[in-house]
Amino acid sequence: MTQDLKYVGRSYPVHDVAQKVTGELIYGSDFRLPGMLYAKLLLSPIAHGMVKRIDASRAEALPGVVKVFSHLNAPMDPFCRARIHPGQDLSPHDETLFSEHVRFVGDRVAAVVAASQEVAAAAVALIDVEYEELPALLTPEEALARDDVPIHPGGNLAYEHQTEVGERPDLTNAVVVASSTSTPRTHHAALEPHVCIVQGHSTGGMTVWTTSQGVYAARTVIAELLKLEYHRVRVIKLPMGGSFGGKTEYILEPVTAFLAHATRRPVRLLFDREETMIATMCRPATATTIRTACTADGDLLDVEAATTLDAGGYASSTPDYSIHMCKKITKLYRVPHYDHRSRVVYTNTPVGGAARGWGAPEIMAATEIHMDRVAAALRMDPVELRLKNMVEPFDIDPVTGLSLGDARVRECLERGSVAFDWATRRARPAGRGRIRRGVGVACGAHKNGMFGAFPEASNMSLKMNEDGTFELNASLHEVGCGIVTTMKVIVAEVLGVHPDLIAAGEADTATTPFDYGTYGSRVTYVVGACARVTAEKLKTTLIAAAADLLKVPVERLYAKDGAVHIRDDGDRAIAYRDIARLSQMKSTPAISASTTYYAVSNPASYSVQFAEVEVDCATGLTAVTDFLAVGDVGQAINRGMVEAQFQGAVQMGIGYALYEHLDVDAAGRTGVDGFKNYHIVNAPDMPDVQVLLVEHEGDDGPFSAKSVGEIAVVPTAPAVVNAVNNALGTTLSDLPLIPERIVAALHSADEEAR
Amino acid sequence: MAAIDVTAPSTLSELIEALARATSRTRLLAGGTDLVRDIRQPGHQPDLLIDLSRLTELSYVRLDGEMLRVGATTTFTELQSDALIREHTPCLAQAAAQVGSVQIRNVATIAGNVANASPCADGATALTALGAEVSILDGAGHVTSRPLGDVLVGPGKTTLSHDQAIIEFSFAALGAEYRSAFAKIGSRTAVTVARLSMALVVRFDPVAAALTDVRVGFGAVGEAAFRDSELEQVLEGRPADEESARLFAAGCVAAVQRSIPGRYSLPYKQHAARGLAYDAWNALALCPPCEPAWD
Amino acid sequence: MNLLLTVNGIVYEVEARPTARLLDVLRDQLGLTGTKEGCAEGECGACTVIVDGKAVDSCVMLAVQARGKEVLTVEGLAVSGELDLLQQKFVENGAVQCGYCTPGMLMSAKALLMANPLPSEQDIRIAIAGNLCRCTGYTTIVAAIRAASGQETAVMELPVDAEELAAEVTTDVETLVAVVGADTAALLITDEPGGKPRGEGGE
Repeated sequence: MTQDLKYVGRSYPVHDVAQKVTGELIYGSDFRLPGMLYAKLLLSPIAHGMVKRIDASRAEALPGVVKVFSHLNAPMDPFCRARIHPGQDLSPHDETLFSEHVRFVGDRVAAVVAASQEVAAAAVALIDVEYEELPALLTPEEALARDDVPIHPGGNLAYEHQTEVGERPDLTNAVVVASSTSTPRTHHAALEPHVCIVQGHSTGGMTVWTTSQGVYAARTVIAELLKLEYHRVRVIKLPMGGSFGGKTEYILEPVTAFLAHATRRPVRLLFDREETMIATMCRPATATTIRTACTADGDLLDVEAATTLDAGGYASSTPDYSIHMCKKITKLYRVPHYDHRSRVVYTNTPVGGAARGWGAPEIMAATEIHMDRVAAALRMDPVELRLKNMVEPFDIDPVTGLSLGDARVRECLERGSVAFDWATRRARPAGRGRIRRGVGVACGAHKNGMFGAFPEASNMSLKMNEDGTFELNASLHEVGCGIVTTMKVIVAEVLGVHPDLIAAGEADTATTPFDYGTYGSRVTYVVGACARVTAEKLKTTLIAAAADLLKVPVERLYAKDGAVHIRDDGDRAIAYRDIARLSQMKSTPAISASTTYYAVSNPASYSVQFAEVEVDCATGLTAVTDFLAVGDVGQAINRGMVEAQFQGAVQMGIGYALYEHLDVDAAGRTGVDGFKNYHIVNAPDMPDVQVLLVEHEGDDGPFSAKSVGEIAVVPTAPAVVNAVNNALGTTLSDLPLIPERIVAALHSADEEAR
Repeated sequence: MAAIDVTAPSTLSELIEALARATSRTRLLAGGTDLVRDIRQPGHQPDLLIDLSRLTELSYVRLDGEMLRVGATTTFTELQSDALIREHTPCLAQAAAQVGSVQIRNVATIAGNVANASPCADGATALTALGAEVSILDGAGHVTSRPLGDVLVGPGKTTLSHDQAIIEFSFAALGAEYRSAFAKIGSRTAVTVARLSMALVVRFDPVAAALTDVRVGFGAVGEAAFRDSELEQVLEGRPADEESARLFAAGCVAAVQRSIPGRYSLPYKQHAARGLAYDAWNALALCPPCEPAWD
Repeated sequence: MNLLLTVNGIVYEVEARPTARLLDVLRDQLGLTGTKEGCAEGECGACTVIVDGKAVDSCVMLAVQARGKEVLTVEGLAVSGELDLLQQKFVENGAVQCGYCTPGMLMSAKALLMANPLPSEQDIRIAIAGNLCRCTGYTTIVAAIRAASGQETAVMELPVDAEELAAEVTTDVETLVAVVGADTAALLITDEPGGKPRGEGGE
């Protein structure tokens, strides 16, 4: 490392760790208001149909019930849960607060507002609803085949997109390989279920407390829907027990806001686990076919891909998701011709939407499982094939026209191969006994913010207190990965003071400046850069104040270790706090800085991951026995937390590869309703994940830092799948590799052998 | 909402009084790890809840001559570490250790596991192979005894009437010539509901060098835990060798097929049964570990 | 119904519905919201508390079942602001991210260490098998529990008292007088909070 860093690159706990280990922190689900009422939703028990009649009289007669709401007495203006700008029209406005036309098991039919949670639950069971059932279309294929059963008025094809770049070269003598990969609908499984609390004010305004990844857009959606001026809708972000994209879009907020507005009372809507699983949002199911042509030496000539994305009952963000799935492959490989079509299809299944990686885990699973097929066809080592085709630093992404920045994915793969001892392990036979061992590798690419799509920017201000402490005022949305600490460390590095001297709060539309929030892998790269610029600006003000006090020109001053030093004067120095206190009395009443920072680039972040697995041929169960995650993160701001992002992402990615799926039965019901039957990886099944960070200068993030939280999960599942295929000699590509699929593959391999 | 009466008998005579008041809506609360969730569902509210947590006299494991007696409210944590259980019926200790998580095992009881009548219940599978008798107390104060197989009749179904409570399980303590093991396949290593489980008990006659008194209990395949006598006969009189293991595994596959013909899960469970059979067999440690030829 | 519950050493008399879970009474009636609800079916362990020395899921235990027993919740670990060693090691090892699983993890780990002061890594993984975490991959949590049993060392920078830090960067009097002049320096010296004397070479 050439950067001389004092605080950046060390390891810090999350900022509110003391409150978390003592149980003191008030999370959304702990938050209460005096006189608070409790809402409970009636969710559709059928996958597709029309509500013919609702009789709430028995429910409303129950003591403690305040009111029952449904499409009969609520605004029916359509809205989009995934909107971030007032005028945005990428996703259709296709849902309403309550549905008359119910589109999946879990769709909102009615809501009870009552004096207690128990009464609300009892009252929901007393609402009589008569449905007229429509055919349930449970897969994209079924939905596309049934024009006569439109899930939405515009038909079942919600969106189509095509990306095509380059010229198709001569493919004579090319080696052509085709594969199909499917990825499952999964549950984000943040440990805290979804919750929202809204105080409906008697004046008609409201205060919303929510566990959201973006308060400003929550405000936009609510205000537009309820036809309120934006400044009368105050949205405050509360501490949250994880998100992973699941709390990016506005699902509980609009309906809770309506209930509180209608009753002019404080109302809480808290989902339980089953409701969170089926009635919020899932990682969407996808199916991708890839057909590549390459030379006999393994140089990629042409990539054609087609992706179908199952939106579920409402489109949410899936159109954008599908576009992004067509923007990843060229961030990883140089491809002379790339043609990728995607389509988003409505089905009568739980809604798909934002999830950690925003399409990258899905498309990289398809790509990297495919690359192993290509390697097999060419009898080439999978690492060698990838190295042959990998992008180089500062390549221009042909899809976006933007530089990939200092893309060090090749270095990740090369160093990772050595650290994992890839060649030796890959050469080792899988064994012919009950337990077969294999290794797999996969690469992944992701982005850093939304530059290129629209003006990507952040705003914040920083002030210095008279005792030498600092307060950062920014719309931060901590989701658990240490965003607040990241900002504190960046400011600390600039100012040369310990991060604990800096306080930073979270987002509140009434008091913190506009920011999109925590998504799009934008926080470290864009918001962090804003923090750096803001701190530098404050430092300039501080030095100017010092110059004024010391009667020394600013050119002779420099800031270091919490003091302003005078060059060529025996290095005499005056402490920040003394500058603050004196200048308040003498010259500069307040030392502060505000900045709007505009992103100027959007490089790629990379991860390359190596998995070793042992597959039990008898049970079909796969154990991940060793794992190495390599990350091109530019510069780790908070080293321990960056490593932990990879460790945690691998937990999620192994689940994606091996266990997790929210399939529906013939009636459109998910077979699972809780963690008893939706298994996420627990401690005994997690390998000790090794993390190797490739750090370098060269990008525009703060101290060259790039995003980590999303990229960390992108290549995990294909690395595991490739390892299983290596162990068994199979070509499994339908995720997850549940024991039934492994056993079935073993049987069909047996039959082929006969 | 209707009132719920809660009673927490601390003696058997108080339990009899409570059972005498029981109706079809009355529920017995042992560890509660399944019941608590159930009684909170709309329409599932009991009229009387008989909390057994104060019945400390029903928490025991004792050796009574040749019989092991396990009190109804003995928890899985207690069973997994109990010296008598580990010595005389390792399969039950192994099953207990694989029930749920530490938190669940700390409160869940053996009687609750049986009375809840899940086909996947690990405890019930082990007790089936052990040929357990169930002692049942009723509201009139009568104690009757029935074989476990007569109590468990289907998923969530037992032959216990609403005024009856399980108070004890008894089974022969396995002597030095016996070996037993429990094996289970779930969808992960720990804290998982069994997708297929098996308890295996054998006596190895050192003089004849042959297996006798073979008992095999299956769980999570079919309506309730069961024994398969056809399969048991396969091992009867055989030596403890690799060929026996192979025959046993083939027998397990056939037993699974007999139990769930045509079921969607059959192909997987048939395949898995072979591996599970070897797991159980090898755990007996009667011969060097063996595994099937996989090609 | 009326219940007497001992929670964190305090005896509470509470009026609870018979079907109230221990979790409901802790959170809604005693205001002890450190114990979390994640699944309501005894699968995720976020609601883990210790009852009579054993870890239990308070979401599948009725409050009546805890009558007459000693309940320990996460709020009972630290004494007068002094963190329990286990809490301290969770901080030092970065074992906390979103923190929602943390109270339950701490209680499972506490129960383990109460019974087994020197657990192996496998013992630890089994002890927390019923506590799900979506953030960490368990690596740092296992390390923290090992550290609490004296088997591993910390990796994080610890929070430092802000006042101490501020004091570190106080200009000494001599320099202050030299750089801003005696009159201006005097403004500051008389302005010290709490009349704290300013040391000669910094503090």
